[in-house]
Amino acid sequence: MGQLFAVEIIYRGVFQKILAKNICRGIVLSAHNEGKPGVSFGRYSDSPERNGIPAKSYAIVATDEVTLEEGMAQYSPKQVDITVVLDDTLCKGLESWAWMGLQAVNHFLKPNATLAVISNEDVPTLLKSIHVKDQPYHLGTFTGIPSFSGMWNFKDDHTDARTLGVIAKAMPQLFSFASLEKYIATKVKDGASKVQSAKLAYERFTTVNVKIGEGNTEPLRHYVQPKWEQMREGTTIVGMPQGGPFKDPTTGEAGGHRPARSKTFLKYATRTLRPVTNFETCTKCTLCWLNCPDASFDVTPDGLYDTNLEACCGCGVCEQVCPVTNCITMVSEHEFTDNASQWAAFKKDKAAYKAWITAKSAAAVPMDQRSNGYRYKGQYKEQIPAALAVANKG
Amino acid sequence: MSIFSEVKPAQKLEPFKGVKTIAHEEYFTSGHRTCQGCFSAQTMRLLAKSAGPRTIVLGSTGCMYVANTSYYTTPWGVPWMHTQLGSSGSAALGAAAAYKVQMRKGKIKDEPINVIAFCGDGGGADMGLGAISATMLHPAYNLLILMYDNESYANTDIQISGCSPYGANTSFSTPGKVKRIMNQRWKKNMAGLIAAGHPTVKYVGTAATSEPMQAMNQIRKALSIGGPTFLHLLAPCPKGWDYDPILSGELGELAVKTGIFPLYEMVEGKLEYIGKTKLIVNGKLKRLPVRDYLLKQGRFSHFTDDDVEYFQSKVDEMWDKWLIPGVMPVLKDLEADVVPA
Amino acid sequence: MATTAVEQAKHVEQEALITGAEAIAVACKLADVDVVTAYPIRPYDTVVQYISQLVADGEMDCEYIAAEGEHSQFEIVKHASACGARVFCGSSGVGWMYAMECLTVTPSLRIPMVAMVGNRALDDPGAFGVEHNDALSVRDLGWNLIWVDSAQECIDTALLAYRIAEDRRMMVPIAISCDGSFLTHSQALVKIPTQEQVKRFLPPYDRGELLMHPDNVISIAPQCNEDWVMEIRRSNYEVAAHSLGVISECYAEFEKVFGRKIGNPFFEEYMTEDADYVLLGMGTLSTPAKVAIRRMRAEGKKVGFVRLRWFRPFPAEALANCLRRFKAIGVVDRDYSLGSPYLSGVVATEIRTALYPGNGPKPPVLGFICGLGGREVLVPDIEKMAGYVSEAAAGKSVPLTQWIGLRE
Repeated sequence: MGQLFAVEIIYRGVFQKILAKNICRGIVLSAHNEGKPGVSFGRYSDSPERNGIPAKSYAIVATDEVTLEEGMAQYSPKQVDITVVLDDTLCKGLESWAWMGLQAVNHFLKPNATLAVISNEDVPTLLKSIHVKDQPYHLGTFTGIPSFSGMWNFKDDHTDARTLGVIAKAMPQLFSFASLEKYIATKVKDGASKVQSAKLAYERFTTVNVKIGEGNTEPLRHYVQPKWEQMREGTTIVGMPQGGPFKDPTTGEAGGHRPARSKTFLKYATRTLRPVTNFETCTKCTLCWLNCPDASFDVTPDGLYDTNLEACCGCGVCEQVCPVTNCITMVSEHEFTDNASQWAAFKKDKAAYKAWITAKSAAAVPMDQRSNGYRYKGQYKEQIPAALAVANKG
Repeated sequence: MSIFSEVKPAQKLEPFKGVKTIAHEEYFTSGHRTCQGCFSAQTMRLLAKSAGPRTIVLGSTGCMYVANTSYYTTPWGVPWMHTQLGSSGSAALGAAAAYKVQMRKGKIKDEPINVIAFCGDGGGADMGLGAISATMLHPAYNLLILMYDNESYANTDIQISGCSPYGANTSFSTPGKVKRIMNQRWKKNMAGLIAAGHPTVKYVGTAATSEPMQAMNQIRKALSIGGPTFLHLLAPCPKGWDYDPILSGELGELAVKTGIFPLYEMVEGKLEYIGKTKLIVNGKLKRLPVRDYLLKQGRFSHFTDDDVEYFQSKVDEMWDKWLIPGVMPVLKDLEADVVPA
Repeated sequence: MATTAVEQAKHVEQEALITGAEAIAVACKLADVDVVTAYPIRPYDTVVQYISQLVADGEMDCEYIAAEGEHSQFEIVKHASACGARVFCGSSGVGWMYAMECLTVTPSLRIPMVAMVGNRALDDPGAFGVEHNDALSVRDLGWNLIWVDSAQECIDTALLAYRIAEDRRMMVPIAISCDGSFLTHSQALVKIPTQEQVKRFLPPYDRGELLMHPDNVISIAPQCNEDWVMEIRRSNYEVAAHSLGVISECYAEFEKVFGRKIGNPFFEEYMTEDADYVLLGMGTLSTPAKVAIRRMRAEGKKVGFVRLRWFRPFPAEALANCLRRFKAIGVVDRDYSLGSPYLSGVVATEIRTALYPGNGPKPPVLGFICGLGGREVLVPDIEKMAGYVSEAAAGKSVPLTQWIGLRE
């Protein structure tokens, strides 16, 4: 039996769909330059992808056809040599179409395999999010603004070439830089400059060893799937009950309305941004609560609207419809390590909460500078130089 | 034994009289796997909130089936049943008939139950048009067919439907080296079609998710008026239209302000423009140029100035040349403008 | 006090001269069906024409809806049934095929719809005459399928169908196949049971926790993926696995309540006790078959006939035990299955499968394609087929599939 290589690309659904596909194709075609056969595919049960919901793409390569077949006998690999994460907020965990519960980004890594993350954070910071694993592995980052585009327009900011460079460094047996260079130069638009970006990423990429037990020790949500006889007949499931009032943490009085929420799909792993609310400037206009497609606002006993951060998926519509300037601000998920209620914090200590949101809002990227999707014609072209500047800074 | 069918009273659902009077209860809650900023999901939320607990919902195949109700996790707090892609009309009819006859025969408690079937533009304007039309002809069944229009077959990764706008990029209408505009069809005028073709329908309307209170009150009106009713709701789609999800509210509003999506109601045959459209019709609001709306969306990024101009001309035609602007494409007789000798 | 004919009918068994279609209409009336949908296609549609008259005359209280196509026709009753209404529907030929999307999902939704199929050729080539392919096309999907051959059997089976379908262990749809024209349109004498008897036989339709009603907050048929579909289908498989037992129970109950003997619910044996070889078929070809069998018996030939009723669930064990007694079997298929093993018809192929397991005798099974598009199956045809089977019984080599009654 020859050698088998499995690469897993974890990305934000729709926003990074084309990017992930480009990377996987690049892996197969680069390896092919060395005579290795391979297959690239998106995980079928992720399709149709939804904006922001984590998705996976794969490239399986082998030294020969027979070994490749062995690798493809299980369609989605359960043991991978490299996992690349294209947006570092995914490190908090994945909740996707294809399973129930929260899955760690390092879940399928073989022992001593490599996890590469596009991130401007350092490894110790990332390890606060990435869950512990019962095997050691290598962790490395390469800098970059997460590359988000959409279904029809692609932001061609060299992220694919850079990722391939990182993969070549992490796993030279898969393909050499020379093979990668040949692929980019002959098959990719703007090949010459992309080779440069790939080279920089290749030269700079390093990893640290992550020991067993190192990382985020929070337990992962896990569900046991019932047997057929335990399932309700007629393809039916029980519907959602009604919610009700909840307690003010300072007075202990119940009031307001907290809707019942799903216990099996919590959408927070979709977030790259979350809303931060200045309750003091809120005019209780109801628009945030009313316009949230995920019903993620709890109506508090004192008539305010508190984002329930287990349910919020970070779309930002609340920020956009709020009539009060800087009342709701979308802030990067990097700034937070839990899903605690902001309103509860506000009620317990208003001064501390004010200081907290001031700091968080300062970190916010104004909407006209965000890179969270298409807003106007020519936007991506404008954003590419800045993206390259960050990337090439190293 | 009752021989002739009669119209039973529908639920009396008073309009919400201000944002503070909107019920807090959610009959469509969190836990659905829709895109960030999905205003089709928002439509479902508004629908469920307006209708309340004495409701059943029939959901035809589409995003609001696949993304909403993955097995073992459902956001619905009222009974919900899947129906086939082209079956929203028949599903609503079957359910309404079943409740009616069982109540008449004393098999179940006699009370008004909201029967709502939803469809996307694919399931409604295309495949299911025949069934919807047939159902609209039945005067004695109380039901609402709600078409949430994200202007594509969205669940199958975005393809053109009869409601997709001219020239939009979808995976069946990709702009290419030889053909830039693969979808040359102009959007089907669904609400107008339903109103014109079914003279006994008491309520036909269009609504925008960007005006949620108004949309909810339209739903309540449709559910209260009796007989079969139809509502066409525009639901901006960040995935298919290719835009930053934060813009879902803004784009819905622009669709109305540019005149592309007119808001109106036909209540027992009487037409009334509503919301921002009313201001346009009364001359209090000038229609924004369609460019302001189109170029905020990636699905139109291949449009040339000529394409935008063409699009503008069609929208202008809808307002300047139709006898009933935005509703019925019967052209005004312009010869009559000639000054007599 | 003078009682009306309608009143009398409640308590006194009537006799009427009616077609198979009308018999089913009468059964719907007696069963107090709640919702009926209609769409015109020959030859089933006289059943819904009769129902229309019953409703208009006040003899039946139901919601009667004329749909705009068979897909909608079946979808309407599917949802009505989910909401607790007892329903009836029907179609023929390509009309049935037009409803196919609906037909595929009713079993997994556990919808106990009773449908009449007026078997008709699938056109093109167009013909109104009988072929069985329409109803057979749903044989893998969880529908129960029965073929009847007389107007009496129509009314009895329709009543039984509601009882069987609505049994909580079943809750799957049943299609009653009636040969177009021969059964749907010829009038025969039928004993019509009383309303009171039917009320005793048919309990009210109760969906239990599957009911679609505001008091029962469930989501029916959410989107699934590869993690769930097998388990869901296994549940339907379980229904199929115990169907034979439930059907037997219901027939026994029918015999008690209506005082009429049917015997084996699944197939009828005619002159098979000492037969050397038999023919097997479904539907109204049983008439020429029985006549031919009598004639051949008179000539000393030891031949018999088996009329299969329930095609789904297929009574494999019982039928195999019956057929293993004979030296050869000829299956008359009023259908075609192009590209099947040995190009035989559907029923022949299933009979061979039923005989295959185990170490018991495996008599040769000859397939005959006959009577398509409404062409009559005549006594000489049966005699010709019996001749071939007799040769096979004698050990001679005979083709596995032959076309009978063809101009060639």
